[in-house]
Amino acid sequence: MTVMKLNVIDLEKSEYTGGKSSLCPGCGHDQISNVIIQAAWENGIPPEGIAKMSGIGCSSKTPAYFLGKSHGFNTVHGRMPSVTTGASMVNRSLSFLAVSGDGDTASIGIGQFIHAIRRNLDMVYIIENNGVYGLTKGQYSATVERGSKKKKGAMNEQPPIDLCAMAINLGCSFVARSFSGSKKQLTSIIRAAMGHRGMAVIDVISPCVTFSNNDESYKSYNYVKENDEVLHLLDYIPHFTPIEEVDIPEGEFDDIQMFDGSTLRLETVGDEHDPSDPMSALSAIHRAEMDNKHVTGLLYYDNSMQTAEEALGLTETPLSALSEHELRPSADALDNINSRFRGN
Amino acid sequence: MEMHVKMERICNDFTINIATANGTGSQSSNLIILNSMFQMGVPVSGKNLFPSNISGLPTWFIIRASDNGYQSPGDKAHIQVLMNKDTWFKDLESLEPGTIVIYNEDAKLPVDRDDCPSFGMPMTKMARGINPKLARLMCNMYYVGALAHLLGIEQNALEMAVRNQFKGKEKAIELNLRAISEGLDYATENWEDEIPYRVESREKDPDSFLIEGNEAIALGSIFGGINMLSWYPITPSSSLAEGIIQWLPELRDADDGGSTCAVIQAEDELAAAGMVIGAGWAGGRGMTCTSGPGISLMSEFIGLAYFAEVPGVIWDVNRVGPSTGLPTRTQQGDLSMLYEASHGDTQHIVLIPGTVDECFEYGWRTFDYAERFQTIVFGFSDLDLGMNRWSTSGFEYPDSPMDRGKVLRSQEEMDAVENYGRYRDVDGDGIPYRTLPGSGLDPILYRGTGHDEDGIYSEDPDVYYATISRLKKKIEGARDLLPAPIIREEEEQQIGVIYYGSMENSITEIDDMLESTGLSVSTCRVRALPYHSEVESFIERHEKVIVLEINRDGQMYGILRKELPAHLIPRLHSVAYTDGLPPRARVYADMILDTLEVTA
Repeated sequence: MTVMKLNVIDLEKSEYTGGKSSLCPGCGHDQISNVIIQAAWENGIPPEGIAKMSGIGCSSKTPAYFLGKSHGFNTVHGRMPSVTTGASMVNRSLSFLAVSGDGDTASIGIGQFIHAIRRNLDMVYIIENNGVYGLTKGQYSATVERGSKKKKGAMNEQPPIDLCAMAINLGCSFVARSFSGSKKQLTSIIRAAMGHRGMAVIDVISPCVTFSNNDESYKSYNYVKENDEVLHLLDYIPHFTPIEEVDIPEGEFDDIQMFDGSTLRLETVGDEHDPSDPMSALSAIHRAEMDNKHVTGLLYYDNSMQTAEEALGLTETPLSALSEHELRPSADALDNINSRFRGN
Repeated sequence: MEMHVKMERICNDFTINIATANGTGSQSSNLIILNSMFQMGVPVSGKNLFPSNISGLPTWFIIRASDNGYQSPGDKAHIQVLMNKDTWFKDLESLEPGTIVIYNEDAKLPVDRDDCPSFGMPMTKMARGINPKLARLMCNMYYVGALAHLLGIEQNALEMAVRNQFKGKEKAIELNLRAISEGLDYATENWEDEIPYRVESREKDPDSFLIEGNEAIALGSIFGGINMLSWYPITPSSSLAEGIIQWLPELRDADDGGSTCAVIQAEDELAAAGMVIGAGWAGGRGMTCTSGPGISLMSEFIGLAYFAEVPGVIWDVNRVGPSTGLPTRTQQGDLSMLYEASHGDTQHIVLIPGTVDECFEYGWRTFDYAERFQTIVFGFSDLDLGMNRWSTSGFEYPDSPMDRGKVLRSQEEMDAVENYGRYRDVDGDGIPYRTLPGSGLDPILYRGTGHDEDGIYSEDPDVYYATISRLKKKIEGARDLLPAPIIREEEEQQIGVIYYGSMENSITEIDDMLESTGLSVSTCRVRALPYHSEVESFIERHEKVIVLEINRDGQMYGILRKELPAHLIPRLHSVAYTDGLPPRARVYADMILDTLEVTA
């Protein structure tokens, strides 16, 4: 008899899996789905406490392939942030885990992306970024780099929208970039993001094996592997693991405390990058861009920001759990209003 | 003009038109006149015809006193107040002989209408005497005094109206009362002639007060347990959202001091609709309010809510379309858009209040219907009902508990449903059961794509057809559960008039005009779509039925034609007209008479 491995809330990993993927074999998005399953399981989050959100596109289909025990909403193109906002307002106890694509976020949905960041909505927002529209057969998206070329068609001449730089400029409280092929780095980032309170934007370069995995594409497997500028090694230490029991790394390291008590450990850190400094994060992004490279790791972090729910001063109980007695003012209250209107 | 002949008195039956410039504070003066007459028990209505502008463009306020209770603007002005240089000559030109003219002499413009008795007052100069800096605003209080003198508005009613207008601001109350009193004294001392029009006190219903439809909806939604308001500013719906924001702290704070309703000013109407759907999906009562342009933007999301079966409430306070149209004028031009909003085959529940009492009532009822039928429910108001003040005797407390619909909240409830599937029609009414995120009960991935009874993605033709057929059945099933029409039926069932919404304010006068020609007219006010079966039986009982509405194309007429049995369709005749102004009874009555003649 094999003993199944259980997580901290005694669940097997199979409690976190989803349906069979219908994406192309080898798609970077499937690797990300596996990391999401792993991260949620390792963090010991009850599956029913998670709400999976997505827009439209290849990436937005993936919530069907992970966390089958969680409710989810595959909404409309580019508008997932607003649906998440409404849901988050009425049930603040849910952990919102959102998946979007570069078309969904950087083009049709850029307005909602910006405003969700501006409100510091409490959610994890993963962009599965491949620079092309997959479902409509490979048109360029707005995140494709100047000089990059997909399998068919001309080279892209327009400058890209860098979603991490944009998020940092907007004051996003957690901004990271990773690569679907960097399983360890991505797992640590997603685990830390799940423990963050506020908006966590994770831009994950996720190659499209069908339309832009050629070497001239800056978002192909080969290109990213060769041009990945890793800011630091990342180790995630959950709140239920005593930090004293974790081996101390040899080189320099920084520990970042997450809201849920967990720690994101940044190792082999140099002087060049300080994740609490937006200028440092932006210059890392721009330096890499000038060299046609991708900078990955935790770019920016600020745990002092108020979330949208906090700013609104809502009652502690999720609004969806309030009773009629709490939601409908009394008959006396209405009598009083009528009376005041009458001038009495 | 000589006025020495013994004057015939016309009491409580006249219309005043006040021409001012936007942003000069004239709205306060106008409301003081309206409210002081209301305090005297005079049946009165006020219409604000304002521009899409912050300051400077012309604005007109129409006050009608009518012992018959007529509330439409009337066919002509009996008294014209001239304050605005820009419209001075055009306003004058439009007057019928005999119209009383009250004007600000400091405009230094001629009043060359010898056929109209005119009364000048140096209003700006007098206002400067009180406060030079505020003269531009204060001068408007002088025509209040002028009208009080000419019409005989009682002093205590004036004082009460001023106090209500400037609640608690003692300095403003004092200054404005002084200006009114100076205006009144000037008129008494300088104007020898009398005018035929007078106000006369009537016994006032002590319970009655005036309120805008938007504020009534705001209060109704708060008593309906609204959990989330998302909104994007747009005339004429903004004051609805602001009404909710204003009343929430008093009415909806929980014991811990936190609010039980989130308010989000969205980045656009698309986001506002998305937030409503997110709130409904997560088990809350979400609402937004907008006008036609906003509905256009929300349409994609409305289809998602229809197909994925998510509750939500959207109020459309209709303004004049298409496009930006006349943003500050009224129309019933969005009805067919609401009924079938979004691509593919859709059909939505629309509640149509015709009074401020119904604005309050539908403010809470919309949430019950939305959760009962797991779909978007529209409230359909318009600028006239929403932004003008109408009388009520007080709002009635909801007569039924909140209906949260078919939500399974525990495993026991889930076990009691045989063969549960998110989209399975277990009860045969087309309404499936649902579970909420966070409950751990049978989760699914909600989607706008094709899905089977268990919510699993499907492109199967039979599955798709079954789904859209069930949705049709679900909304059809709402017909007779929605508010029934208000029918006023004559014994002799000659002519029937079907109408809806703010036309309620003109229908009595239209009816009297038609009956004065010897016709026998029954009326039927539709209060919801899909329309109630009593609407159909009303049509069955009448030989000829006019469908009366404030739009160009006869949108309700089109809906009725599409859904009525074929033998009833020839009985229907459309009378539809819109020019942006609140409906004048004469215009519609004449159009009805013409239509009856043509079809005789």
